[in-house]
Amino acid sequence: MLELRNLSKTYGKHAALRDVTLGAPEGEVFGLLGPNGAGKTTLLRIIATLLQPSAGTAVLAGHDVGREPEAVRRAIGVVNGGMGLPARLTGREVLRSFAGLYGLTRTQADARIAELDAALDLGRTLDTRAGEYSTGMKQKVVIARAVIHDPQVLILDEAASGLDIFARRTLLDFVAAARQPGKLTLYSTHVMSEAEEVCDRVAILHEGALVTVGTIPEILAQTGERNLERAFFALVRGEGVRHAS
Amino acid sequence: MRPDYIWRVASRDLLSTLRDRRTLTSTILIPLLLIPLFTLGLPLLLGKFIGGQAQERQQVGVVGTLPESLRAALTRDEKTPDGTVTRAGVRLVPVTDPKAAVQSGDVDAALRAPSPLPRRAGDGTGTLEVYAKLGNLRAQTGAFAKVQSTVEAYNRELAVQRLGTLGLGAQTLTPVTLAPIDASPEQERRSGQLAFLIPLLMLNFILTGAMATALDATAGEKERGTLESLLVSPVRRSEVVAGKLLATTVTALTTALFSVLGFLLSGVVMRAVLARGDTPAELTQAFGGQLTLTPGSALALLGTVVSAALLISAVLIALSIYARSYKEAQTYVTPLSLLIVFPAVMLQFSDFLTLSSGIYALPLFGSMVAILDTVRGNLSTGHALTAIAANLIGALLVGLLALRSFGREEVIFRN
Ligand SMILES: Nc1ncnc2c1ncn2[C@@H]1O[C@H](COP(=O)(O)OP(=O)(O)OP(=O)(O)O)[C@@H](O)[C@H]1O
Ligand SMILES: [Mg+2]
Repeated sequence: MLELRNLSKTYGKHAALRDVTLGAPEGEVFGLLGPNGAGKTTLLRIIATLLQPSAGTAVLAGHDVGREPEAVRRAIGVVNGGMGLPARLTGREVLRSFAGLYGLTRTQADARIAELDAALDLGRTLDTRAGEYSTGMKQKVVIARAVIHDPQVLILDEAASGLDIFARRTLLDFVAAARQPGKLTLYSTHVMSEAEEVCDRVAILHEGALVTVGTIPEILAQTGERNLERAFFALVRGEGVRHAS
Repeated sequence: MRPDYIWRVASRDLLSTLRDRRTLTSTILIPLLLIPLFTLGLPLLLGKFIGGQAQERQQVGVVGTLPESLRAALTRDEKTPDGTVTRAGVRLVPVTDPKAAVQSGDVDAALRAPSPLPRRAGDGTGTLEVYAKLGNLRAQTGAFAKVQSTVEAYNRELAVQRLGTLGLGAQTLTPVTLAPIDASPEQERRSGQLAFLIPLLMLNFILTGAMATALDATAGEKERGTLESLLVSPVRRSEVVAGKLLATTVTALTTALFSVLGFLLSGVVMRAVLARGDTPAELTQAFGGQLTLTPGSALALLGTVVSAALLISAVLIALSIYARSYKEAQTYVTPLSLLIVFPAVMLQFSDFLTLSSGIYALPLFGSMVAILDTVRGNLSTGHALTAIAANLIGALLVGLLALRSFGREEVIFRN
């Protein structure tokens, strides 16, 4: 479902992503882990056609990200922690307007909104203007908007940041339920415990380079540590990078 | 580009604009109220003020003595046959230092004759110094004007008396009388001297209206983190830019429409005020745009205004997409109003300049001249088309620039 080959990205002189090669099959939740500045957002933005890679290729759902950006955009839904909503529109208006952009009719859109209301408990957000939302309400509508067209690939970048335990629970349950044949969820976070809960496999990034990829048990076995956070420190130290202390 | 996608982008931005009370005020209420206030209030106020000057009895200082008949002429009131004072005389008070008296504000003007003044025409000449704050409109139109006209009338009277003793009539003084007849076309005359303000106000309101949507739809979207979600949807960049341009132009034109309604409103009120008849007509006429549009000139006006709105919108979008926040965008676009005000003020002197046809090919400025021509009823089709084409070409180029910016990651993710 996702194939990255020798992907690099530099901002001016700064290398944010260095020669990343990895693949993720359909039917799983694939985690992207790494501390601040590791390059997670950069990688996901390349996949989402928002950034051009400096080198390498990315193929998503059979479409090359650089050559068929429109087909890729049709196949993805994107959520990141910094996303907001038009303050003077209600949740329903936002969802309907995006449904239109994906070619859904009004009837299809309303049916899909009802489905998402049940899954995400949108409740009164639907008929309240976004300017009045709490962080949790906002993020639910942002997620609903990203999946309004039932995308093949869902990209979540720090989607749980700033959420309270209730909103986070809804999000994690939603991600777990999205683990379906034919679908892929990319889940980026720097919170290792979130990854442990929802991810089937994870890639660990550090300073733009891929440190390791594997299932969580594999990574724990490889490092002999009892949780992902300790495994991460072990891996980074093993690379000779002075970071954990 | 797919029209339905463009419209989806535009309608979202328009809905946001429509729900913002702040922008509703600046796009609808202000043009609707400010224009009548400006076009009616100013002349009425000025009329009252200048009218009041005639009724007021100003203090005029005198050093030494003046001929008795001149004193009488200065202090005499002008009355209608039924006794109402149309122009009050001045009050003469003795002073010693004329300059100091004027400067201290004790008197509005002061008179001093260095040598005795002749009491009869033909008995030599004399000088009467008039001290007043001549840069001051109140002094100029009040005490100074009264002294000036009284002395002119006094001279004439002495001359006529002298001529009488020689057996000659008053007409000896004016063998030739001048009769000015206004030969400007009816429409131009009725458009008033301050018609040059109409293009200024129109374009300025287009700018205000466009700002209400453009900034929110670009920098505002970036700031709120909604632009990214739009850019990862199947809408093409060109459709995003076209949609935002459409939304901005619609708001700009709405404001322009309400400013035209404002002009119509002041025209109606003006006619009512004139009908009451206690305000000098020439003053209200100064602004008094009574616009008469033929179908052709209405079409030219429409084309000019729409194309100007398109260009202004494109410029605002191209500029404000660079900004990280709404506030930053405001600082980028605020100076633009100067770009409109300066040329518009130049238009005031358009009578002195021989405008070459090339001027119409300047985007926006050509439109201002064309709007002024329309108001005065002398716009040529060629000039109108030139102005419209200049705006459209400008809008296309700037629109392409905006499109390029929307495709550049360092612009979209500038933070
Ligand atoms: N637009 C940009 N211009 C210059 N440098 C950038 C830009 N965006 C990111 N970077 C740099 O690239 C590196 C990777 O950033 P990125 O945002 O991809 O990391 P991240 O893993 O998402 O981090 P975080 O957990 O903080 O979100 C960082 O060092 C960052 O400073
Ligand atoms: Mg990030």
